[in-house]
Amino acid sequence: MTARQLGMVIDLNKCIGCQTCTLACKSQWTDRDGREFMYWNHVETRPGKGYPKDWEQAGGGWDGDTLRPGRLPRLHEDYGYPAEFGYEVLFEEGEKPLRPKEEMAWGPNWDEDQGAGEYPNSYFFYLPRLCNHCSNPACQVACPRQAIYKREEDGIVLIDQERCRGYRYCVAACPYKKIYFNPLAGKSEKCIFCYPRLEKGLPQACAYQCVGRARHVAFLDDQEGALHQLVNQWKVALPLHAEYGTQPNVYYVPPLSPPKIGSNGRSLDEPRVPDEYLVQLFGPGVGAALEMLREEMAKKNRGEASELMDLLIAYRHGDMFRLDRPREVV
Amino acid sequence: MDRREFLRNSTYCGLALAFGGPLTALRAHAATPLGDQRWEELYRDEFLDTRGDAQGFAFHCSNCQGNCAWKVFAKDGRVTREEQSAAYPQIHPRIPDANPRGCNKGIVHSKEMYQGDRLLHPLKRAGERGEGKWERVSWEEALEDIATRVVDTLTEQGPGELMVYAGTGILSQGRRAGPLRLGSLLGAQRLYPASAVGDMFTGASLAYGLANTGHSLDAWFDADAIFLWAINPIVTRIPDAHYLNEARYNGATIYTISPDYNPSCKFATHWVPIKPGTDAYLAMSLLHVLLRDGHVNDAFVREQTDLPFLVREDSGELLRHRDLRARGKEDVFYCWDEASGKEQPMPGTPGHFKKTLRLGKLRPALGGRYEIKGKEGELIPVTTVFERVRAEAANYPPDETQAITGVHPELVERMARDLARSNKAIINIGFALHKYVSGTMSCWAAALACALTGHAGERGGIDTEHNWSLNGIGPLSSPKPARFASGFFSEWLNGDMQASMDTHYSDEHLKATAGYDSKDVERQVAENRESGKAYYGKPRALLLFADNMFRRNKTEAHHREAVLSNLDIFVDINHRMDSTALWADYVLPAKSHYESWDIRGELGYHRFCNVTIPPEGLKPVGETRSEWAICLGLSEAMAKVARARGIEPIADPDFLVQEGDMAAPVMRDLQTLPDDFTDGGTLKNDEDVVRWLMENVEQIAPWTPEDARKNGFVILNEKAGFTSPLYANRPYHSFERNVYLREPYKTHSGRQQFFVDHPVFKEHGWTVPTAIGPLRPPSFPLAFYTPHTRWGIHSQWRTNEQLLRLQRGEPYLWLNPATAAARDVGEDDRVRVFNDVGEFIARVKLMPAVPPEAVVMDHAWEPHQFEKRIGLNSTVAGMISLLELPDGWGHLTFSPNWDGNMIAHESSVEVEKA
Repeated sequence: MTARQLGMVIDLNKCIGCQTCTLACKSQWTDRDGREFMYWNHVETRPGKGYPKDWEQAGGGWDGDTLRPGRLPRLHEDYGYPAEFGYEVLFEEGEKPLRPKEEMAWGPNWDEDQGAGEYPNSYFFYLPRLCNHCSNPACQVACPRQAIYKREEDGIVLIDQERCRGYRYCVAACPYKKIYFNPLAGKSEKCIFCYPRLEKGLPQACAYQCVGRARHVAFLDDQEGALHQLVNQWKVALPLHAEYGTQPNVYYVPPLSPPKIGSNGRSLDEPRVPDEYLVQLFGPGVGAALEMLREEMAKKNRGEASELMDLLIAYRHGDMFRLDRPREVV
Repeated sequence: MDRREFLRNSTYCGLALAFGGPLTALRAHAATPLGDQRWEELYRDEFLDTRGDAQGFAFHCSNCQGNCAWKVFAKDGRVTREEQSAAYPQIHPRIPDANPRGCNKGIVHSKEMYQGDRLLHPLKRAGERGEGKWERVSWEEALEDIATRVVDTLTEQGPGELMVYAGTGILSQGRRAGPLRLGSLLGAQRLYPASAVGDMFTGASLAYGLANTGHSLDAWFDADAIFLWAINPIVTRIPDAHYLNEARYNGATIYTISPDYNPSCKFATHWVPIKPGTDAYLAMSLLHVLLRDGHVNDAFVREQTDLPFLVREDSGELLRHRDLRARGKEDVFYCWDEASGKEQPMPGTPGHFKKTLRLGKLRPALGGRYEIKGKEGELIPVTTVFERVRAEAANYPPDETQAITGVHPELVERMARDLARSNKAIINIGFALHKYVSGTMSCWAAALACALTGHAGERGGIDTEHNWSLNGIGPLSSPKPARFASGFFSEWLNGDMQASMDTHYSDEHLKATAGYDSKDVERQVAENRESGKAYYGKPRALLLFADNMFRRNKTEAHHREAVLSNLDIFVDINHRMDSTALWADYVLPAKSHYESWDIRGELGYHRFCNVTIPPEGLKPVGETRSEWAICLGLSEAMAKVARARGIEPIADPDFLVQEGDMAAPVMRDLQTLPDDFTDGGTLKNDEDVVRWLMENVEQIAPWTPEDARKNGFVILNEKAGFTSPLYANRPYHSFERNVYLREPYKTHSGRQQFFVDHPVFKEHGWTVPTAIGPLRPPSFPLAFYTPHTRWGIHSQWRTNEQLLRLQRGEPYLWLNPATAAARDVGEDDRVRVFNDVGEFIARVKLMPAVPPEAVVMDHAWEPHQFEKRIGLNSTVAGMISLLELPDGWGHLTFSPNWDGNMIAHESSVEVEKA
């Protein structure tokens, strides 16, 4: 354990799948220097194969106290090569359409809005993903160079770009497949939780620029912070795939959905998203978390107060981020 | 990075597969890092690089109603990155603030502005139109040639043959002012953009005399019930969507009415799956339940609506003063007064001397049948509008409409109950509703549902798209009168659109579904042309600013060819090569969103007026110029031609100015054009224009550009509301002046209006809200509708590399898996979409969210992204609605609040494997 741990709660009832976070991260970190194919932060539609494709089947993480084997995603098939467009066709003779120079085979949002089920009972929701800055990071242990470490002051997991030799054991070991190999630099890279921004008192680009206001950032030991309250007190924020054993520090408020519809068009009192699917992602606590959300929403509906709802509403954008230093940059 | 280089290096990734075996932990957790942490400077330096050495502010002035303030960072004169300003103040502690406004499109503009389709230099066509042969020319050469040819048009054919049209690519007060002012000085035609793009809310126009009405979107937050009707704000109103989700956490019940399980449905309490185009039946069944169960706010409807107005049972028309008195008035209407036991004129109608809705001692009866003595002494049998409305709604019990709409009666009952019992309920009408002919009726009926239940002012009501009132812009944008043309009507005629309507819809089918046929349309079009309805003929010269006319219009190539065939000169002024610029004679490169000063404050989703102030030292992109500079350049070049030829001021007798007791025609003086354009040298550039606006628009007072330099915006004052004050600490709600101060509405009746006896309405049984449609011809099995996309503001940003990587790189449509399987079509297959109007090819995305009877496709892909550059509008037949054509009846007279739509979602298609 580090002295302090910074974490994030992402509210899936406020994440609207717009990918503004994805692009905020991209223009902050990954639009250059061999990182073009990487999305340190992305939003995938669930159910779906996700990004990289079928990452949940790619292994990694812990099996008790030993590392589970993992495989490396393929560039073209699993990440998707970052499409390039020949805009010059628009200034040339002929009817050539503006298209990717090479057809896309996969991408970070390939599954967008597809989900599962049958009309009118199909279902989907959005799942933003980034490095979980785990408390028991498999990547750190897998690195033979000991290039990966957790910062004492905030628990951020970093890959020392001077020590890293690009072996990619970490890529395979991360069960969330959130470490990427930079073929230009010959090193592995990943989400750095925007530590250069945090150090200037500015929240992570993905969180600060989240137009859905879905992300809360706080230290876990901050009793006043949304992390402590949502994770420990209200127990409505849950880690993704806790069974991977890495002890993630990104938590999710699970998604609500409208009820199912019967064959005659009647609204049924049945959940649209099968419980077992949500349990598979967020563990056995998900039922209680959803029930808590429904109960507190019902209170508001009746005109009563609800601290939990007020916390999730987040009346002031600035209050969603509790960092340990004042803002230094404009 | 070069692609080859990337792939060469990335072969590591391929080889790496061999490493994919089991891994063993080499050591326990490292408690402390082995090395020191000095390497962390690497990312710190990168961060500072993106933060740049200069900072400006901007919003994205496209046809997006979001209007979000952004910080723009630049380094060495080049934009590095943008980040939402996120500094909007909270207006009340119990209302969430508006931060951080700004979405996935805005955030990629720093890439878009340097992308390969950016126009960098003036280009002159070197081959046939659309052939793609271009010659780079200097600004001087381009402006001189264009000016010569425009002057030819003006002198030989007159000002009406020139169109200067700024499309919806620039919808701000600053940048838009240039083309508006130039067109105004020249007397040119310009289209009404809202109707050209099909964004008129004619159902709201009928009810309120206002097309755009509603709330600031923070008003969602404390609503009890929200009905999202044909609107998908989770996708299309991204900066405001949080208010919906926060409203739900605040206890609101949210319904979404949509044929597909779109993203907004996921966030709703209830999804109401409706068969495409049957919304008017659902609306009527809601009215049925409200009236059946007596959910009528008696005091509200007696005072605020025309429901107590008397209707003649013999003629089916409203009872008017002229029916009772010789030389009586046309615009005085009557109620049956229960207090005096006889008919009484209703105060507040345009012809009544009392300009208030206050009823005084009147007790207008809602129901009943009466007899009234006419001017000849004859007895006139009358009833009330309320009785007519009730009789019509009685025809639509929910257990019967289910067969048409697919919506279960229990759901209808529940919606009606929630509407009636909510203190504050909002019905949001999306732009998609009026893409069906029935949209007018659906919206009008929804307005009636809100009236019956008293939802207006702080109790909510209809929300189409709310705009602010900005006064004082006239002297800048319209110094002289010019030809303001109906958008949809001009494009219908300029594009010879009736041909495809006749191909796609048989008269019998139209009669059976819409109640009118092509001859009715033809007749009404001819009548409107004769009466001079806002149409000025096909232009011969076109200066087109930021308008993707040939992407947008239905039938695509058919429309394009019809328009181009009449043009002697077509100049496209744009920041990128879009599907319309491809067909121009000249393409002039304009600055885009971060490069010139701009201001925008009319958008009513929030109260903030954003200001664009480019970062200090920003280097121009190529030879781009601001719209203002381009218009000034054109003015100077035209003046030069005029002086050389000795052209005297041209009289434009279509417009008269009063001078003393004499009326004289407006003069179009080409020689003084630059001086007139700059107002004697005071409006030299884009910054001058923004400063002028901030000084002269009273709703912006007391702010100055220096105030805007702090966070990129200023706050509009209380005068910004059309129908209510804009209070500093409350969300904006419409119609408070009517509901609380009893000011009349801008309608023929002075009230919320639910009876229209225009002859066309009477002839077709449309005097009160009723159900019509859908028109979808059975000749092809699938409905085809094209909702707004998450990935562009219409075609803007549609070709953005960053955004296309988050899609599939090329156009795709959505198909239900069962529909696809029946046609042996699978995921990602290429299919041909076709009907009797046209065809195009796209990829398939299998979507269980889509109803089996429909093909759904994000609208506004550029045609040039498709094979053979044939886009999706190729299969959309022309259609205009007879409901939207009548003109010259009370508030149904051409204006920004009464114009029509190009109907986009009624066509049907078939799909097969390509």
